[in-house]
Amino acid sequence: MAAASTPRNAAPLRILTAVPVCDGHDSAVTTINIELARHGIEVIYLGYHQSAAAIVRAAIQEDVNVVGLSSYNGGHIVFFKEVCDQLRKSGNADIPVFGGGGGTITHADERVMQRQGTDRIYFAGTPLDAMMAQIKKDYARVAKPNRKFKGDRALARAISIVESAPARYSLPTTRYSNGAARRSYVVGVAGPGGAGKSTLIDELTSRFLRSNPTGRIALLANDPSHPDSGGAILGDRVSAIYAQDDRVFFRSLATRGSLTGLSAAAPAAIDILKQSGEFDLIFVESVGVGQESDPFRIFGKGPKLVDATLFVLAPYYGGLIQLQKIALLNGADLVALNKCDHPMAHTAKAEIQARLDQNGKDQVLHPTTAAKHYDPGVDTLYAAIARLGGLDLVRGGEKACFMEDPA
Amino acid sequence: MSALGKIADSVDTYNQFVAAEVARARRDEKFAAELRAKWAQLHASIEMTKSPTGTPLPRLALPSTDEPGAIAEFLLGQGFPGQFPYATAAYREMYLDKDSEVERVVPNALGTTASGKSPRGGDNQRHPATVREEPMRLFAGLGLAEDTNARFKYLQRNQKSLRLSTAFDGPTLYGLDSDHEGVLGKVGEGGVAIDTVEDMTRLFAGFDLTRTDASVSMTMNAPAPVILAMFIAAAKRRFGPDCVANLRGTIQADMLKEVQAQNEVIFPVDASLRFLCDMIEWCVPNMPKWYPVSISGYHIAEAGATPVQQAAFTLSNGFTYAGLLQARGVDVNQFGPRLSFFLDCGLDVEYLVLGRVCRRIWAIGMRDVFQANAKAQILKLHTQTSGRSLIAAEFQNNLTRTAVELMLAYLNYTNSCHSNSADEPFTTPTEKYALLASHGQSIILEESGVFKHTMNLFGGAPGLLALERQVEKGILDVFREMDTLGGVITAMEQRYQRSKIQEAGHAYEKQVYANQRPIIGLNKYVSHEPLPSVPLARTSPKKQRLQVARLTAFKKKHAKKAPAALQRLENVARSGGNVFGELVNTVEVCSLGQITACLTNVVGKFRPMV
Repeated sequence: MAAASTPRNAAPLRILTAVPVCDGHDSAVTTINIELARHGIEVIYLGYHQSAAAIVRAAIQEDVNVVGLSSYNGGHIVFFKEVCDQLRKSGNADIPVFGGGGGTITHADERVMQRQGTDRIYFAGTPLDAMMAQIKKDYARVAKPNRKFKGDRALARAISIVESAPARYSLPTTRYSNGAARRSYVVGVAGPGGAGKSTLIDELTSRFLRSNPTGRIALLANDPSHPDSGGAILGDRVSAIYAQDDRVFFRSLATRGSLTGLSAAAPAAIDILKQSGEFDLIFVESVGVGQESDPFRIFGKGPKLVDATLFVLAPYYGGLIQLQKIALLNGADLVALNKCDHPMAHTAKAEIQARLDQNGKDQVLHPTTAAKHYDPGVDTLYAAIARLGGLDLVRGGEKACFMEDPA
Repeated sequence: MSALGKIADSVDTYNQFVAAEVARARRDEKFAAELRAKWAQLHASIEMTKSPTGTPLPRLALPSTDEPGAIAEFLLGQGFPGQFPYATAAYREMYLDKDSEVERVVPNALGTTASGKSPRGGDNQRHPATVREEPMRLFAGLGLAEDTNARFKYLQRNQKSLRLSTAFDGPTLYGLDSDHEGVLGKVGEGGVAIDTVEDMTRLFAGFDLTRTDASVSMTMNAPAPVILAMFIAAAKRRFGPDCVANLRGTIQADMLKEVQAQNEVIFPVDASLRFLCDMIEWCVPNMPKWYPVSISGYHIAEAGATPVQQAAFTLSNGFTYAGLLQARGVDVNQFGPRLSFFLDCGLDVEYLVLGRVCRRIWAIGMRDVFQANAKAQILKLHTQTSGRSLIAAEFQNNLTRTAVELMLAYLNYTNSCHSNSADEPFTTPTEKYALLASHGQSIILEESGVFKHTMNLFGGAPGLLALERQVEKGILDVFREMDTLGGVITAMEQRYQRSKIQEAGHAYEKQVYANQRPIIGLNKYVSHEPLPSVPLARTSPKKQRLQVARLTAFKKKHAKKAPAALQRLENVARSGGNVFGELVNTVEVCSLGQITACLTNVVGKFRPMV
């Protein structure tokens, strides 16, 4: 049974959780994450061994209500202070910080930490339900426009506002902003759960960062909300190692009951990102989808949400008949067969290429192994995206090492 | 089928063989007579000793039977101590007091003996390969190298042999220098800060590491090759280039369990395993007394695994390393004896037999699947009492918890043991509680008579046997499940082990919160006393800055030579050569952080799993 779910129409609390740098103790934080989600809270989990800068960057981009840190191997006084200081200096002092560390953080430490900006420490033996009730009481708030917010926080807040009331945001009729602002190329990424979409996007991000020394990229990662509690664990940031860069804007969106494969706020969020003029490239990752869903409105009559779609699948899709059923393969501009180190990959390549040939659209299959460092298949895929989007493929006048043309 | 399926099958086959031999002993008179003769011979080899109060005692206890089936069951199913399948013990004598006066026993019938004094030396009846263990190793590390060195000296005052066990701070464990952005507050916290070979030299200053009774252990994983290279370089500076072959000790270096549970991973899995295998391959001929890996369940259990999962994941990781090394062409009989193991010992009942069951499965798997010889079949075990079982509330109870866990560890005849300090829920152990933890071991092994006089107190007891069968079956079930997933590494990529560990961790927490798992002072017999104010061992900002200053000086001193050394390392890494062989040179002029950055540039970064 779901515990004390959030009342209808109220946007769920968003909490960023993380474990400080040089600390790999994640068993407490994973337990807390599950509890928070069970209590209707959206948890953006950043992972263990996280620097203060990475935590602050994520807190800003995710526009969270609060940051929760779980520290078990000492140095907490210095570390919490660093996080609070960086939040304050970047104009985001409104985001409070709480923490816990079993017995490693003492009551005397808490007093020092509170003077330095930490809101509260939860001590060993606090019942989880009491902790959850306190968190909801302390940090519930409605996201309102705030003129003082600058840069990524202003963008992030705009997205939070459309997230809490997506119906009220009307899409502008012009698809791109005029003027001198950067033109964003938007790629929607879909595919079944477990195909390695997140890892592939992260590897593509690394190619973007290397070939565009000054450009920015945005990632919108959609993940399902729990249907009963309304909470969610949004964990895509954990494995997004290249997103730890100020040139990457990463936003996690919980679907909050939307069944399209994207949050209902995603169209508006894409629009906000585009209007900002900040980004050369935007990836929108849908939740795991397969047959009979169209998150990016590829087949519909209305405007497509994205400029191109990338469909990702892994070699174990279940045979030819299953392949026939995947409608998105008909409309995808780019198709990647990921996990090509799998023994089934050879057969899968032939089957998928044959399936694409039926469409008569000259669709090329890109074999990738995103989990491999510097996989040439990912290089080729990125080059294809860059060509479609008119993005730079060279760095400092010198041909980037990964820029091999498939031809 | 991965090796795991074959190993599970080999254990089942062995169990069927034992059952068949037991049946044969009961019906085949000739075989029965052979067993009885062997049994009498073994009894004859047992010396008698006396307790301090004058009670005569055998130095080794065997099950009290002369029924051939029961003899076969013990000798084949459990093993005479120091013999296959090693359930009873890795060695014959283990913790026996070597100074006691002993007498030889001449058995006439079971239970009654005639005895005569025998001189200690020159007795060819004595078991030839007598190995005794002095298990106490206390894990220590705090502040800068000189602080840990002082703690080593303090602990050493209460130990018979030179046993140094090193804990490193967070930046060192993650391969970062103390001047890395944002880590200053972590420098010297929870362990010692080591950036360079000079820090390593300070760490062991004043200890003769070439003594035959010296043993150094280092809890170090992802950067283990760099840290061991620094250890070798530091030792060479003090004891000359020929000392390397005499260095004795262990480095943890178990990357599979890092990915599965402890999360201290720097490089992608394949590169991490390559660097580890490079180090093992180098150590096998060059450091024949060194254990270049300690295959660890401790962190798996601390992260939440049940005892059965701990054993299953640890053993399967061990078999995976054996497979990787064999695939590289390293002889199993060369590397097998250099693998060591490390288990957690908590308060759950399975811990009564966990070490015994692990030794047995390892021996059978190594013998029957990897074709290893006797020396390469023995699982050598380090045990640490459970950190998770220690509670902040009424923390003095932790002394009792640790004492009980120590008893369980010794009943499994662990080869080496660390006891936790009662103040660990709050702090890196302070001197007072570290000393109490050390004395806990001495009280059990030296002050009490429990383990001093008679070897094999309970082996073959019905309660243990029943538990062993269930635990073994549980472990083999996990092996088979992983086998269907394609083996340890493929299962790991599908986050099988992490999911199982997290699931068990949540179940444990739930039991605690629902009062289904009594924890005295936390959910039962709670006194509601406020948490005590205990002294804390923490590193001052002044010391942290000193460490950075030392590192800066080192980098400045070697600024000219470092780039070329790093380039050579990079070339070896790119060309697929043995990285460890080059690291031994690189550490002379480069810091840990410089080396980590160089290798990351070649092989990339680890992508964490949720």
